[in-house]
Amino acid sequence: MVLNKHQIEAALVTEAQAISSGKLKEDNPLDLSDNFRVFCEACRRGDLKVCQELISAGVNINARDKFDYTPLILASLCGHYEVIRLLLEHGALCERDTFQGERCLYNALNDRIRNLLLSYDYAKSTNPLQPLAAHLTSLLSRPSPKTSDITLVTYDQSFHLHKFVLAARSPYFAKKLAAAPDTTSWKLSQLVPAESLGVALQYLYLSEVSLRSATFGLSDEDERIVLEGLDKISRQLEIERLFESVMEVSDRRMLRQRRAEELDRGRNQLEAWFKGNIVKNRIVVDTDKVGNVQWDRENSIFADILLRADEDDPYEPFSADVSPGPSESSTPPQTHIRNALGPLNGIPVGPIKSRSPSRRRRSRKSILYPAHRAMLLRSEYFLAMFSSSFREAQETQTLQIVKLDCSPAVLETVLTFLYTERADFGLDIAIDVLFTADQLFIEKLKHRAAIIISALGNGSTSTVESDNPRGETDAEEAVDIYEVIRAGWDTRVQRLEEFGARYIAYRLENYIDEPEFAGLVQESAKRVKGRQETDTVELVDDIRYYLSERFRLRFEDSGLDEMMDEATQGTGGVVVSPMEELEIRDKGPEKQKDGFAFDIETQLAAGAIRTLNGEIAGDEFMQDAINYQTLLGKIDHLLETLSLDA
Amino acid sequence: MIAGRGRQRIRPPRRGLHGDEIDFENTWSTIASAFREIHTKNASRLSYEELYRHAYKVVLKKKGEELYKRVCDFEHEWLSSEVRSAIQALFSPNLSAGTQSLGGTTANERRVAGEKFFKGLKQAWGDHQICMSMLADVLMYMDRVYCHDHRRPSIYTAAMVLFRDDILHAPTSDVDGKEVLRLLNHVILDQIQMERDGDVIDKHLIKSCVHMLDSLYQDEDEAEDQRLYNTSFEAAYLETSREFYRQEADFLLRDSDAGAYCRHTRRRLYEEEERCRSTLLDVTQPKIQQVVEDELIKNRIHELVEMESGVRFMIDNDRLDELNLIYDLNSRVDDKKAELMRAIQKRIVELGTDINNAAIAASQAPVSAPMPLEAGDKVKAQMPEKSLNQQTVAAIRWVEDVLQLKDKFDKIWEVSFQQDQPLQTALTRSFADFINSPAFPRSSEYISLFIDENMKKGIKGKTEMEVDAVLEKAIILLRYVQDKDLFERYYKKHLCRRLLMNKSISNDVEKAMISKMKIELGNNFTLKLESMFKDMTISEELTSGFKKHVEGLGDKDPKRIELAINVLTSMTWPLETMGSGDDAEGSRPRCIYPTAIERIKRGFEKYYNEKHSGRQLTWLGNMGSADIKAVFPKVPQKDGSFKERRHDLNVSTYGMVILLLFNDLPADQHLTFEEIQAQTNIPKTDLIRNLQSLAVAPKTRILIKDPMSKDVKSTDRFFFNEGFIGRFVKIKVGVVSSGNKVESDRERRETEKKNDDSRGFCIEAAVVRIMKQRKELSHQALIIETLNQLVGQFKPEVNMIKKKIESLIEREYLERVEGVKIDSYRYLA
Repeated sequence: MVLNKHQIEAALVTEAQAISSGKLKEDNPLDLSDNFRVFCEACRRGDLKVCQELISAGVNINARDKFDYTPLILASLCGHYEVIRLLLEHGALCERDTFQGERCLYNALNDRIRNLLLSYDYAKSTNPLQPLAAHLTSLLSRPSPKTSDITLVTYDQSFHLHKFVLAARSPYFAKKLAAAPDTTSWKLSQLVPAESLGVALQYLYLSEVSLRSATFGLSDEDERIVLEGLDKISRQLEIERLFESVMEVSDRRMLRQRRAEELDRGRNQLEAWFKGNIVKNRIVVDTDKVGNVQWDRENSIFADILLRADEDDPYEPFSADVSPGPSESSTPPQTHIRNALGPLNGIPVGPIKSRSPSRRRRSRKSILYPAHRAMLLRSEYFLAMFSSSFREAQETQTLQIVKLDCSPAVLETVLTFLYTERADFGLDIAIDVLFTADQLFIEKLKHRAAIIISALGNGSTSTVESDNPRGETDAEEAVDIYEVIRAGWDTRVQRLEEFGARYIAYRLENYIDEPEFAGLVQESAKRVKGRQETDTVELVDDIRYYLSERFRLRFEDSGLDEMMDEATQGTGGVVVSPMEELEIRDKGPEKQKDGFAFDIETQLAAGAIRTLNGEIAGDEFMQDAINYQTLLGKIDHLLETLSLDA
Repeated sequence: MIAGRGRQRIRPPRRGLHGDEIDFENTWSTIASAFREIHTKNASRLSYEELYRHAYKVVLKKKGEELYKRVCDFEHEWLSSEVRSAIQALFSPNLSAGTQSLGGTTANERRVAGEKFFKGLKQAWGDHQICMSMLADVLMYMDRVYCHDHRRPSIYTAAMVLFRDDILHAPTSDVDGKEVLRLLNHVILDQIQMERDGDVIDKHLIKSCVHMLDSLYQDEDEAEDQRLYNTSFEAAYLETSREFYRQEADFLLRDSDAGAYCRHTRRRLYEEEERCRSTLLDVTQPKIQQVVEDELIKNRIHELVEMESGVRFMIDNDRLDELNLIYDLNSRVDDKKAELMRAIQKRIVELGTDINNAAIAASQAPVSAPMPLEAGDKVKAQMPEKSLNQQTVAAIRWVEDVLQLKDKFDKIWEVSFQQDQPLQTALTRSFADFINSPAFPRSSEYISLFIDENMKKGIKGKTEMEVDAVLEKAIILLRYVQDKDLFERYYKKHLCRRLLMNKSISNDVEKAMISKMKIELGNNFTLKLESMFKDMTISEELTSGFKKHVEGLGDKDPKRIELAINVLTSMTWPLETMGSGDDAEGSRPRCIYPTAIERIKRGFEKYYNEKHSGRQLTWLGNMGSADIKAVFPKVPQKDGSFKERRHDLNVSTYGMVILLLFNDLPADQHLTFEEIQAQTNIPKTDLIRNLQSLAVAPKTRILIKDPMSKDVKSTDRFFFNEGFIGRFVKIKVGVVSSGNKVESDRERRETEKKNDDSRGFCIEAAVVRIMKQRKELSHQALIIETLNQLVGQFKPEVNMIKKKIESLIEREYLERVEGVKIDSYRYLA
């Protein structure tokens, strides 16, 4: 559907009216904050790392700057594919038939970007919180495994519900259940019809509710009763927004906006509840005493399972830990308080009364998180676990403790994601999260981990390094790239493989001669051969591709932009030094393996550089060309020594 | 937030995940022992987390292949050692004993052994399924990662295959090397056989075994039609069933009657359906049904229908239920129900031919032959002219019989054949077949006679509804008749008589009949009949008009003769059939009327000509009647009474003319036959008939004939019978043989000849109509079109059409088209 110009204008006017009257929120509000300015700048330059950091810091991704540009328009105008993907993955809007959306598409630098934008058209994408909502909704009707712990009874129907959802979503229930946490059934006033209650529950469980489907096929009289019931119940449960949510809205955008707001609120409620109960009630104990922890099934936060994670190394000093997460750093004092408060909270803690022996003996610690099976079911691992007939699935008097093979910080990240769909974590635990998510089959979290690694992994040098041909970055390297690539292979994340290849390509001269690199290439070759008999080595192919990108980019850029020129010239001096290093290193293999024709070539090349260096000082492009040739030659050589065809 | 805090380094993954090799053997032994626990149903103490973690690490360490292999080996080992022996323990000689080899094992023993076998197998299968789903849970990571990447079947599928190979394909302990699978099939079939023989078996148990077969596949592809159930069991089941039902059909056809056969077949069908539901799988249902239908119905339906107690027997004995059964069965295997249809048609034609033959026989039977049993009032009505009307009786009887037959089959059709449309068509066709059969050419005439009879007598005292039913019956028969034109001819003739002689009981009924025919056969058909009625009405007006005219002429003449007259349009009325047609003498002899009559005749002619100029009236004396007041003188009677008697005589017009001759004659004088003929000029045949009725019939012997005999000869003399005694004042002198009756053969031929002539005209007209429209047409197409056009009236013979075309060509209406491959004609304007 393509709109005519006058139609678009008319639509814009009505939209402006709706916004000024407060009915509609602006899709792209003006944002003049510093953070946003930096964000836009990063989008212009294509600085993935800064973008990721600012997104994590909560900048409004759909705002516009004083020139009416949104970050997405900037990135697509400047042609930063990775940045665009990052923005879109974090919910940047690009919808056809809207002013900003069409502008974005129109400005796209090339077809690749345009297609990427189109594939994220809002009409096709869904709210990022929808999976969480869908899971909650499914809890209402999921027959097995049994997760409900409270039954709501009306005169002709009963609903099997979850206390923690009720408590999180409805202040009324929160109060009631706090007063009597062991309630297992709850009778509703006879005056409220089951249909009304059904709608209210759907609302609580983040389902999309509409009056039309609730009252479908009812007579006017019945419909009135249902509506009155809704009114009553929304007041009783203190969910005033229920009525508003139920009303019909014809406008698609309004509907979507309302839904998004509702989901957001729901998520925030869950998050608050998660932080206020689950995180707060975690227990730190000595690993060897973890078996003694006993939680009663009736507890104030309605948990029905305990998840255990062991700390890494008992000998690592606590304070020196790089970043165990902010929560963890404040753990020890809190633990004692809570232990003391245990009975008050109605959480009977097992027989460990010892006042934190960790201080003295630094014995290995375990952290236990109380959790709800209902939420854990989002992971297929837990679904299988709780559906099976193994020990974990059995109902016991005290809560089962399930150990997870990861650090407490990772466990908390996983739980946060399962409960709130939030996945913001640091690079330090990213690979662990990646593995854990892979193990537990939480695809989305895995994906997020991959994004974080590939966005932040470049360290300070970042992807803009195209105009910054390597200084000595070795020291500050943020990632062990070999680990990242291997993790990408192990967890089958294409994105990480690509990232690794690009990372290496942009600083190949640092890696090409390391034996570990050769090992990696061999590993890659084996991987391929393991699947089918082909001649390519995936990793090498990828590296070659990014290598060509690295240098071609520079060749192309050179004529286009004076700014770029200046930048290159400014760093010109730096370019030389790695080349010299290369030469020096080249001599190593030269001496050892004299018979190779390749070495002669290298020599020639090296000689050429040297002469070039002397004659036309400052013409880095020529140097780059030679560098490129040299690096390609080295790859060939490497493959030859590994006796691999490519 | 977290990410925002300063420089971060990616931390190396946690220990245990990378770098250091894991001890595969150790891990595997842990896993294996856990699996053993699972198999021995001790899983509740195992930790899912731990097992999963082990499997996960193994796969992560690229040992997936090894693990997969080990698991398969483990299962193989387990199945072939533990489970197989448990199954083998269940084998007993009773199991494999076949139904035929009655080696001392009773069915009961076999059943018990079989059920034990089923139970064991079911148990093993159930355990295997549960354990494998637990294993699959534990090995989920392997399934998702290793199996997916290496295109291996999931571990669950692989384990199912193992079960098939290690258990079902294992040889039984016997030396003959039968597989367990074949044994299983055999036992299931055996049990089903027992159930067919009336035993009670544990359906539920069998069903679970069948389900097992259904969830295993013949090969690795797992194609939908490669399930073990389909490939191994179902085929065998269908084969044995086919054999069983073939034998059963043989047996049943030999030993029981058709009705029982049908009921049995029906029960078998139901049983098989039920068995598929309760014991086997629903997918087999259509297939086994096919088998039963093939064996019990399709291949046997002919024999079944032809059985002594088959369709014919059922029809004759009104076995409506059984007919319904047969219908039901036949319609299962054959949409057209050909066999049943054939049998029914055959029977209808047989019965119809019987009726035809009876009618022919009755019409030809000698007078003395005792009349067959007949419906009462008709017999009485026919009594006086028994011999003459034998034909009529036969005709009416024929119609009644046909209607009865029709009623019978209608009922069968309604009750037994579920008002099946094709069958109705077949019935209709069969009726048409025998009604129009060339061996019985009189159907049109008989139907018309039937209507005539009813119009004159039958409907007296009946309610409107009943009358309507009678008319409807006539119409039904009429529908079957092909030669509608022949019927029209007869009907016209009979109607004519009824109208002129006022024999019709109710004009309304006549009109109702006409309108019914109009609906059935169309406007054309009834056009002439209607105009006959119109003539009657016009005549009435004419008569009264003439009466007024005469009254207005002058003085009243006490002796004046009143004239009632019917003016008939010569084209519409079948005058020739009334005996006054063109006789051999050619021109119609003019009857000489007495002067008084002659005068009034002239008067009317004058009156008529004034009204309608240019029309010629021809007087048909043979059709009229007259009322005469006659005075018989005082002569001594046989009984001694002596007085003058007055009688009102109703005689035919000719009779009147004859009697008036005697008016002028002295009492003892006589007239000879010849004299009468000379004086009156009445055609000889009519004269003889009239004289017969006046002088021979005992009740109306107004003349005395000398010599006294039945026949009238030209030399006979006639006297006025002065001593005539009538019991009533009014006496009707009927003319001999003026009642309706079936034609003699001579008459028939005449009628047919006339019919053929008129058909010829119809055909010619049709041909010309068609050709005028088409201009050019091939011979074949012309014939077909002509047949189509005429189908409502009669079914012309192709030969006749050809002849008519020839004659049209001769008369240059058409010409042959030269030089065309197919014979074609062209219309010449």
